Amino acid sequence: MGKIKVASIWCEGCSGCHMSFLDMDERLVELINKGLELNATPITDLKVPDEGTDIGIIEGAVATDHHEEEVKMMRERCKIIVALGDCAVFGGIPTMRNYFTVDDLLKRGYLTTESTVDGKIPISEELGKHLPKTKAVNEVVKVDFYIPGCPPSADAIYHVLREVLEGRIPKLEGELLKYE
Amino acid sequence: MEKIKIKVNGKEVEVSPGKTVLQVLKELGIHVPVLCYYEPLMPQGSCRICVVEDRGVLKTACTTPVEPNMDIKTDTPNVINSRKLVLQLLFSERNHYCMYCEVTGECELQDLGYEFGLDHFEFPTFERKFPVDNTHDFIMIDHNRCVLCRRCVRVCSEVAGHYVLGEMERGIDTMIIADMNLPLGNSSCVSCGLCAQVCPTGAIIDKRSSYLGREIQSDIIYSNCDLCAVGCGVEIYKKKGANFIVKIYGDWNSEISKGILCKVGRYLSLFNNKERAVGIRVKEEFGFRKIHEDNLVSLIKSKLNNAVAYVDGSLFNEELELIKELFKGRVYSLYPNDSPIPSNINIEDLDNSNFFVIIGVDLNREYGTIGSFVKRNVIGKKAKLMVIDKELNSLAKIADYVFNIKDINIALDILNKEKEVTIIYKNLTESERSLLLSLSNAKFLHLPMETNSIGLQKLGIKHEKISAENVFVFGKNLEGIKDLPIKNSFMLIFTPYEDEELHKGDVIVGITDWFEREGTFYNLEGRKVKKEKVLKPTFDVIDLKEFISYMLGKTERIS
Repeated sequence: MGKIKVASIWCEGCSGCHMSFLDMDERLVELINKGLELNATPITDLKVPDEGTDIGIIEGAVATDHHEEEVKMMRERCKIIVALGDCAVFGGIPTMRNYFTVDDLLKRGYLTTESTVDGKIPISEELGKHLPKTKAVNEVVKVDFYIPGCPPSADAIYHVLREVLEGRIPKLEGELLKYE
Repeated sequence: MEKIKIKVNGKEVEVSPGKTVLQVLKELGIHVPVLCYYEPLMPQGSCRICVVEDRGVLKTACTTPVEPNMDIKTDTPNVINSRKLVLQLLFSERNHYCMYCEVTGECELQDLGYEFGLDHFEFPTFERKFPVDNTHDFIMIDHNRCVLCRRCVRVCSEVAGHYVLGEMERGIDTMIIADMNLPLGNSSCVSCGLCAQVCPTGAIIDKRSSYLGREIQSDIIYSNCDLCAVGCGVEIYKKKGANFIVKIYGDWNSEISKGILCKVGRYLSLFNNKERAVGIRVKEEFGFRKIHEDNLVSLIKSKLNNAVAYVDGSLFNEELELIKELFKGRVYSLYPNDSPIPSNINIEDLDNSNFFVIIGVDLNREYGTIGSFVKRNVIGKKAKLMVIDKELNSLAKIADYVFNIKDINIALDILNKEKEVTIIYKNLTESERSLLLSLSNAKFLHLPMETNSIGLQKLGIKHEKISAENVFVFGKNLEGIKDLPIKNSFMLIFTPYEDEELHKGDVIVGITDWFEREGTFYNLEGRKVKKEKVLKPTFDVIDLKEFISYMLGKTERIS
């Protein structure tokens, strides 16, 4: 079995899913021995996935135009897209802001919080602009596998990666399928 | 009745007609997922989760009666896909994001999600914001979590008989409402809490039990409520390994209440804020001094000569028997406990009654369970209701006849013309009693003042005021001390709560109460019911039963 290239990014999430990824511990070495190759992950601090990456793992919801761009790039460069964690799968906690407008959200976040004195809403060109609504990844691009959970267990992530490495279609069942 | 033949998953079976497909499948041990179906309620078929295929057509198993030549298939791709689609639509319609929901881990919608392996939402979600109603003291309604199964609406009308919950609008805009869209806290809700008990999701929740833990983390204790003489069956959820109660549910298998519970049993019983009487105190010149239990034993032994005991109806049969033995029968009741006209009808018979008469008691405030039995028959099945009271009774608005007690003669004229009437009453004057006894077509249900009034009657403990050198009082309600002839008596009071009457006592002993004691009592039907001990006492109090057994030399103390 040849090498399988894996890239991962995080959008609007807490990075808990990547922590869970690392919680695979020595099983990560086992996967690497089986041919897993990590390019472009927050763990390796490489930001752009190689062309022809096999698996693209996305953590977090799509909340800004930057996220949208990153997710679309992942889709272009990766054969399989995996939505990792409740934010990527369902939209998660970030979707709670969908009940408010972006304006209200920014005002509350930067101006009217109790601890803020002379706050300002950042306007730098380099910052991503909030989309009107936070979305789950499958509302932006096609997703091939979903690993829900907040965070998903290391067992679930390991199961999916191992199944793909061994050429099977992964299926999450029983204890591995959790929404919380 | 002749059996009919149908096919289930290819096998031929014989079933009795008149059953629904779901009932038949359940009997055959075939699992069919359900959401809006709830056994004690009339099936409605609104959620479409229980669909099965019959000769190529999808039908709801819960509402379709079996008929000859059916060919039921329960797990064809058509069935599974239909169920999955319904689930996807349910998950997308409102906010069913489990992570920030109170009932996660104990939600029927979530369980279905796992059962059908839903790992993501196929349709866009979190589009609309629905209101959250937090106006009620004990119940919160979060419309974002609602799946519109209407279990709450059905239980509120069919079982509890309150007819408070309903629905408005149509389709995706449908909302569960109280009265004419009033906030629940301002509505006519009587806080029986059945809606929260049957809600399959986190849409209607008990505020008090929120975030205290799941059913699997609780020990479930089946007991009876002892806060009034009905003695409703309760399921008590006690946190495993801890000394607190998570929540109380009505017990659907209870022969007395059949699942119904009132505000007092479900909620108020858990708010025990009364100050406890703690320790053993003896009155001295400048106040009270605490003494040890051993000293109390010798003190009581020295006072048993020329002593009488007064008890109230909060005591259990076992305690009353022991007290009778200790005082050699010189035991009297603090309050009158005889029924002017004894009950000759059971609570379950109320469902067969066509004419109710309620005299001098507001069933929405007291005896809520009896109120549910009456209301569900009056509003739901159109039984007639006559309310006779001195003041405005909240049941008057659903009554066919309303009379002031002064006009009882006119009321009797109407009652005489009926075939059979059920008279529910609390207190009667002598003249009212004889008037009612003149009715030949009446059945009576007496609502006693105290929990174990019937037990006091059965044990022959009468309400008399006897003076003695030493007076012992056992009970929760000490109001009756005021009328006792105790001027020169030495008085010992055994009570669970602080009370202003306590200053009259020479010795005051704190005893167990609430969920800390067990025993049996007779409910208003004369049925012996048992209350279980659920919690360990957290105060320095003695258990009356244990203590008197010890006094009588029946048990030895392990120290």
